[in-house]
Amino acid sequence: MSAHPRLLIIALAILSVFSLVFSSAVGSVALSPSEWLEAIKHPDSATGEVVWRLRLPRAWAAWLVGALLAMSGCLMQVLLRNPLADPYILGVSGGAAFATLLGMTIGISAGFLPILTIGGAFLAILLVFSLARGEGPWSGTRLLLTGVVTASGWAALISLILALGPDNSLRGMLFWLLGDVSHATPGLAPLAVLLVVLGVVILMARSLNVLAMGETTARLLGENTERLLWLIYLLASLLTATAVSLAGPVGFVGLIVPHLTRMLLGADHRVLVPAAVMFGGLFLVVSDTLARTILAPRQLPVGVVTAVLGVPLFLLLLNRAKLKS
Amino acid sequence: MSLLSCHDLDVSVADIPVARELNLQLREGEFWGLLGSNGIGKTTLLKCMAGLLAPDAGTIGIESRSMHEMSRKEIAQRLGMLQQHTVYLFDSSALQIALTGRHPHLKRWSREGNQDIILAQAALDAVGLGDFSNREVTTLSGGEARRLAFASLVVQDPEIMLLDEPTNHLDLRHQLRIMDIATQLVSGRNKVVVSALHDVNLAARYCSHILMLFGNGQWQAGACSEMLNGPSLERLYGCKVEAVETSHGPRFHPVGRGSEEVSSGSS
Repeated sequence: MSAHPRLLIIALAILSVFSLVFSSAVGSVALSPSEWLEAIKHPDSATGEVVWRLRLPRAWAAWLVGALLAMSGCLMQVLLRNPLADPYILGVSGGAAFATLLGMTIGISAGFLPILTIGGAFLAILLVFSLARGEGPWSGTRLLLTGVVTASGWAALISLILALGPDNSLRGMLFWLLGDVSHATPGLAPLAVLLVVLGVVILMARSLNVLAMGETTARLLGENTERLLWLIYLLASLLTATAVSLAGPVGFVGLIVPHLTRMLLGADHRVLVPAAVMFGGLFLVVSDTLARTILAPRQLPVGVVTAVLGVPLFLLLLNRAKLKS
Repeated sequence: MSLLSCHDLDVSVADIPVARELNLQLREGEFWGLLGSNGIGKTTLLKCMAGLLAPDAGTIGIESRSMHEMSRKEIAQRLGMLQQHTVYLFDSSALQIALTGRHPHLKRWSREGNQDIILAQAALDAVGLGDFSNREVTTLSGGEARRLAFASLVVQDPEIMLLDEPTNHLDLRHQLRIMDIATQLVSGRNKVVVSALHDVNLAARYCSHILMLFGNGQWQAGACSEMLNGPSLERLYGCKVEAVETSHGPRFHPVGRGSEEVSSGSS
């Protein structure tokens, strides 16, 4: 393995830190580097409050969500052996969204919503897990179909809530559905999930490489694929559930970032996964900074920006891939 | 020594019997050809021998152990298989794909070392892909992808090598190249090869033993010189086959039309 990928991961990590600094300096009160340093040194000053209490937590939440979704996307793409799979394809976010919107409708206080979100996500995960498991050996097609069908079931229930829900909460619901980090309050749990899953995934990265060549090939090379595939499914779902509980279903990060990273660095998961984590975090911090500054003082949900950046980027990628083959 | 053994093996696919009460001892230094017409179950039998499919009855042994009490990893250290189709979906370099052959031999946390890379590069050289180590595998031709898959099997270096139509998509020279490598591994490194083949003359040239599948569970196995002759091939393929003596031994070519039913020999 050459030094080149490692350098790129380090570069992405440095850029990530830089993006957090930048994001905490721009906004309605723009700070010069020296003002920013003053604000960092004096958390009790007016600017210090803005940086420490508002902007940094929000930027950090965006970074975490981007990193979680990017890793989840990498896993889902190997799991389904489909480069177009994303973290939401198997309905994890659908269950989470249904539970959250239901909570909003019946007026549960905002502080408890993340708990509902996590609960809904796990309900969706268990549902797919038990329905797709069935009898007989693992079947990727059955998992995909079960997941996609339950996802559209959730989508129908969400539409029902939106249609029947009270008007005054519609805007909040819409913001949540688009993905929005402005209310995210990341404690230590999301970071712990990210680090623990990253550790596990790096330990099994060579197995992921083998699995990407097909389930039969992986078995012939010594993998107990059934156990491996369910483990990947559960890890990817846990990442998605954590991200969604922070910011709602932010789109496109989990699809685009694994792709871009694979194009830059190749498909070796020992490099791909850590690089995608860094890149995903960076991408979402930049997107969220744009989301709260482009139309200032109005703030956009970050999901709108990732889609606006993501769709053309993705089409460009597809085009390039077509040219290549 | 017997490397792979089948004891009273019953194998079927979609309720159609492939082999009934198959008893075989595959010993080191033997090159087995697996012959039979399309859809007769050659791939199914190979998958069964690789432990990918469960037999209806009977057991498969690797060396002195029963296969079903071994982990996939233990099996992969001793048995490898070239599948009939090779599709690479994600971009990787040819060298990375060849290196996946080391996967069963490495610990979970260890990386491929220089020794592994030397092995992989040697295997790529041997199959004529030496200059391709940095090529993206999604850009390889069918024949090149095939040779790459064979190279990663060589890197895996199992004692038992199952080949499912290894010469598919290959031109004449590369067909010989792959079969030559397999032969060297069998005779020089004491391995056993079982290869599903459609080319009877490749089988005649390279195989020491032949296993024929006749359909409906019937099979016959034995030394190549006893197994390959006009009547048995006519029974096997249902078309007229003529044997021609050459300086390299008998070779076979079909005569008449494929649509003709051959009654002789079919039991």
